[in-house]
Amino acid sequence: MVKKAVPDWLNSSLWYPPPSSAARPGSSATNAAASSSESDAAPPDHSTETVPVPVPLPPSSAVRAEPPEVEIRDPLSDDSDNGASGSPTSTAEDISRQAQILQELSRKVINMGELRRLASQGIPDGAGIRCTVWKLLLGYLPTDRGLWSSELAKKRSQYKHFKEELLMNPSEITRKLENSTSLENEEPKCETGGVLSRSEISHGEHPLSLGKTSVWNQFFQDTEIIEQIDRDVKRTHPDMHFFSGDSEFAKTNQDALRNILIVFAKLNPGIRYVQGMNEILAPLFYMFRNDPIEEHAAFAEADAFFCFVELLSGFRDHFCQQLDNSVVGIRSTISKLSMLLKQHDEELWRHLEVTTKVNPQFYAFRWITLLLTQEFNFADSLLIWDTLLSDPEGPQETLLRVCCAMLILIRRRLLAGDFTSNLKLLQHYPPTNISHMLYVANKLRSHPAR
Amino acid sequence: MVLVLALGDLHISHRAPDLPAKFKSMLVPGKIQHIICTGNLCIKEVHDYLRTICPDLHIARGEYDEETRYPETKTLTIGQFKLGVCHGHQVIPWGDLDSLAMLQRQLDVDILVTGHTHQFTAYKHEAGVVINPGSATGAYSSITYDVNPSFVLMDIDALRVVVYVYELIDGEVKVDKIDFKKTTTTQVAH
Repeated sequence: MVKKAVPDWLNSSLWYPPPSSAARPGSSATNAAASSSESDAAPPDHSTETVPVPVPLPPSSAVRAEPPEVEIRDPLSDDSDNGASGSPTSTAEDISRQAQILQELSRKVINMGELRRLASQGIPDGAGIRCTVWKLLLGYLPTDRGLWSSELAKKRSQYKHFKEELLMNPSEITRKLENSTSLENEEPKCETGGVLSRSEISHGEHPLSLGKTSVWNQFFQDTEIIEQIDRDVKRTHPDMHFFSGDSEFAKTNQDALRNILIVFAKLNPGIRYVQGMNEILAPLFYMFRNDPIEEHAAFAEADAFFCFVELLSGFRDHFCQQLDNSVVGIRSTISKLSMLLKQHDEELWRHLEVTTKVNPQFYAFRWITLLLTQEFNFADSLLIWDTLLSDPEGPQETLLRVCCAMLILIRRRLLAGDFTSNLKLLQHYPPTNISHMLYVANKLRSHPAR
Repeated sequence: MVLVLALGDLHISHRAPDLPAKFKSMLVPGKIQHIICTGNLCIKEVHDYLRTICPDLHIARGEYDEETRYPETKTLTIGQFKLGVCHGHQVIPWGDLDSLAMLQRQLDVDILVTGHTHQFTAYKHEAGVVINPGSATGAYSSITYDVNPSFVLMDIDALRVVVYVYELIDGEVKVDKIDFKKTTTTQVAH
């Protein structure tokens, strides 16, 4: 028999605001513990002032004093619609979560398990916390705080080196080669007249060369990819001033995105550039560029490059066309999603796949390859990425659970719809409460974590 | 890094049927930004073919061109360099350096590209550089029958020009290069 019952937890009264104590069973315990450890007489709003956190972050204390709603809007002020992210968590909980994360970050050796647990509940928007946490979660920063500055310096200079090497055009390359080989050779100085001397070219290197190893030939072949990267970069997030428009700022940001993608394409000849990588890079670069710490924001390009490489490493196979039908390819991942849905909500699965024949490829392809950046507004996708990056099961498993949750949340509408309306609904996913969705995704774990 | 192709004296279809196949295989669209042609194409089809290689085409009129509306001389600026084109049959004696230097001073250009002699030459003198790309098809000239097909590709990069000379000798393409810089202070090309 088909299981008709909707899972109990879906229908529970937990969803309706603001049950801050019950919504996150894990955090409520710590919440109570934290507030009790703080000064007893102080009301919740000021509880953070007295928290003995030895973190010298002057900007953050000012931020903490303001109500969190303003805090959330500020860094993301160029998004018009912030409504969906207005979650029903209380201000005290938000503030205490931030305090806990800051405390964790201030340790000498960071406990990644603890950080993941805290981050999976959502990272608050202030004080550049998200930047640092993402860098830690993606393995860019080591867990030992003492090593941070040396690691950062090393990586940043490595990126600079990549750029110099890979973004040079062939004229400069040939000139460099000549200068290094013929330093003592006479230059035709002081020739006031007469026939110019012809010299041999080295290795058959000339601009019209069709040889495979020719620098020039490779350059012209790369121009195709560079043109495609250019086109995609110009189309990234056209509604955000950060990325598009005629301002100097937008142009430098676009240049940074372009450089990162070109360097990546040249370093990875197997996968090069595929449309969509710009969408995965955009939130990373945005976060790092808006880091309130000036020094970090200046190196946002280098940091974003390495974090992009790290993030993409888990999902590379989705972008490789030859692997489409293999065990690691995108089709296989989509069918995993399908199986997950069947496991948790068979009725919905049957209705979608069998009755209305909505092939999951029609909607899940974009969800999975672009890590849900295109389905929600920018601020919401940052929250989703917090969960994706921090989950110990790994980003791919978590992504599948979130996609499954997305389907389950609109089950009523899907069950009532036919092929056309369901496809339309799934391809333009309706705005939804993100924390709710992430909670549902959490519940879908096969091994219940905490 | 701007690539400029200089060629001319093709005399298609009067004295030669077409460009050598090896040259044609190298001249693919998308690589070259400008074409400078010394003239004597002579028919419209050649003009169209050169257009497909690069849309920015500058031609000076040669005495056998069927299109009468090409100018006698043309000047253009690419990067830091001023270039001039003229077919060269107007400058007498043909191919004489001093007379060409006069023309160069008249046009006030750094690089003068002329043809008509069907022989590749590259001269430097006080006012600048004179380049003759020769005949791209190897057509016979008014002076001699012994002509090797040749053309020139210039790579202009800020104040430096690398001139790549492509010649077809005994069926093989030989490439040489010539390097020169422009000094901004004096007229002496150094």
